[in-house]
Amino acid sequence: MIPPLARLWQPAALVLAIMLLIALPFGLERYGIYILSLWAVTTIAAIGLNLTLGYAGQISLAQGAFVGIGAYTAAIMTSAGWPLLVALIVAIILCFAVGWLLGYPALRVQHHYLAFVTLAFSTLAFLVFRNEQWLTGGIYGIFGIPRPTIFGFSTRSAQAFYYVCLGALGAVSLMAWWLVRSPWGRAFTALRENPLRAQSLGIDTRRYTLMAFAIGSAIGGVSGVLYAPLVEFVDPTPFSLVLSLNLLLMVIVGGQGFFFGPFLGALIAVLLPEWLRFTKGYYLIIYALVVMLLLIWSPSGILGILDEALTRRKTRRASALRAAARPTLDEGRAP
Amino acid sequence: MNKRHPFNRWLIVGAFAACLAAPAGAQDAVKLISVGELSGGGATVGTNFKNGADLAIAEINAKGGILGKKIEVTHYDSQSNPGVARGLIQRAIDEKPYAILGPGFSGSVKVTAQLTSDAGIAQVMGGEAAELTRLGMKTLFRTSFGQQSSMPKIAAYLVDEVKVKSVSMVWVNNDFGKGGRDTLSKELQARGIKIAADISTEAGQVDFAADVAKVKAAGADAVFVYLNEEESARILKEIRKADIKVPLIGETTLLGQKVIELAGEAANGVRGHVGLTTDAPVPAIQEFRKTFVTRYNYVPDHNGIKGYLSIYMIKAASEKMGKLDAKGLPDALKNLTILASKEPGILMDVTIDENGDLDRDSFLGEVVHGKQQITKILPKLKK
Repeated sequence: MIPPLARLWQPAALVLAIMLLIALPFGLERYGIYILSLWAVTTIAAIGLNLTLGYAGQISLAQGAFVGIGAYTAAIMTSAGWPLLVALIVAIILCFAVGWLLGYPALRVQHHYLAFVTLAFSTLAFLVFRNEQWLTGGIYGIFGIPRPTIFGFSTRSAQAFYYVCLGALGAVSLMAWWLVRSPWGRAFTALRENPLRAQSLGIDTRRYTLMAFAIGSAIGGVSGVLYAPLVEFVDPTPFSLVLSLNLLLMVIVGGQGFFFGPFLGALIAVLLPEWLRFTKGYYLIIYALVVMLLLIWSPSGILGILDEALTRRKTRRASALRAAARPTLDEGRAP
Repeated sequence: MNKRHPFNRWLIVGAFAACLAAPAGAQDAVKLISVGELSGGGATVGTNFKNGADLAIAEINAKGGILGKKIEVTHYDSQSNPGVARGLIQRAIDEKPYAILGPGFSGSVKVTAQLTSDAGIAQVMGGEAAELTRLGMKTLFRTSFGQQSSMPKIAAYLVDEVKVKSVSMVWVNNDFGKGGRDTLSKELQARGIKIAADISTEAGQVDFAADVAKVKAAGADAVFVYLNEEESARILKEIRKADIKVPLIGETTLLGQKVIELAGEAANGVRGHVGLTTDAPVPAIQEFRKTFVTRYNYVPDHNGIKGYLSIYMIKAASEKMGKLDAKGLPDALKNLTILASKEPGILMDVTIDENGDLDRDSFLGEVVHGKQQITKILPKLKK
């Protein structure tokens, strides 16, 4: 039996992490706070992709485009004087609808082919951001996006806006936590593991595939809505295919299908290059090598390593229990 | 059995964590921080700028530094991403530098200018978009002409010297190309010149056949080509293949050394305005080019000169103040005229105006037998 103390370590670690995240800005300069905010925003996008890819098994190279749609929605609306909250609602609805539509190809094609379809969408979105100058400001982008005032409190300062990002991350995490534990989440996993079997069990795979895309995309939109006021500038370059690939990397490195995978993956993608800056020109090479080695070592990501270690421990414990039970049988067999 | 220790993995993680500490700079040095495009789409721009700056710093330090203090520089890589650039400029400001160098991309400059302006730290950057110096930032300085200075010169050249009635424009769809295209088309229309074709291309584009076909079909009196170096060479070859005979006009990049090397024969006859070039018939620039090539083993483009000049601008302004006062530096840079006779590192006489724009001589050139020849020196606007 697992002792109660061991069962407690997980919630304890979670509480500790949350407290740390709340306390961190007090010990950091503005740059550190900015990077932490960027981590929170990126993690939200990765959580969305983890739902689509990690839980429902639908590969998407379009998550960056949804972050872009969210960011442009926020930039255009808040510049026109709308509150960020309204922009958030519009972005969620817009990304949900576009994500739903993008899900249709997923009903017909899978794996690499689906990746290509979503890649095409990502390129299309980039071209719209860049070429529709009347709406998006084109290559010049939209400058001077205001940070919101919430209940009379201005979030203009780096610290205040960090808490907005952290709050949003908390809300999205809770929602995702609930979702993966609900029948929906089970249906997503069934879809990933064996679509045919899922269908034979009465799961409407068509609806759930579309839903997986739509929800993942809407969460990507939330991330974008925060990105725009964080950087206070949007232009098309950050939302190119590179962002989608980066988000994919985060989900895979962190551990796809693990709830905390995107948190870790984003931490590595945002912070590791920062930490490696002391190596000057070599930092991207080292970063790439570390990621490659990690994936060779553990294709299921960092949490995969942890999961493997825990499973091994459980197996060992079970073996030990079996071994302990064996002597009574061995006694009889002894010569 | 191959038994693996999970702790080994955590050792590696620990090793990375141990490398967190940033190197601390010496107190009594002139501390500069450069944020540039060292990787990603702008890597050529950022690397040239960085190398130029490093060269100038090595020269100045060898002669005792600025006001007796050595220069120390830290280079940060923006990955050509404005979001990252913003973070790094924030980091640079937190580290309280004497001045900030870069970025080179106009978009990245735009998102960071407010931060440096709020902090009151001089930002000597490479962006060329016209609007940058019109944002009302008090601490932003160019190292080259903005497009608002160079494009009127091109327009005047097209009208007065080439005597055209219509022009086809081919430009690269990024902030550099689009900015130039927008500024020039305004100038041309003001002079009553018809824009026969307006063709946007992609950075990194390889096949220009379709674009050149459009240029040919438009049949304008001249073609204005405003692309990055490699794409310029590709389109020149395609234009020659299509047997287009009208003058090919460009600005700085089209007449660059790299384009001439890549395009070979196809570059002959190309004309245009050159703001900053390593081929300028100025002994100081030739000397700079030689030193640069010896040190880095390649011929720099105009971004290399920009990086180099940024350091000498800071040096001249500091010497004008007579002290190393970071807060006073932006004011010292304004309305500063630096004479090459007094400060050879500035290469050519230059005046920095109230908005941070530059005024200096520029050139009209032509490629003849695979070599850039300067046909005319356009004097400074204000003497």
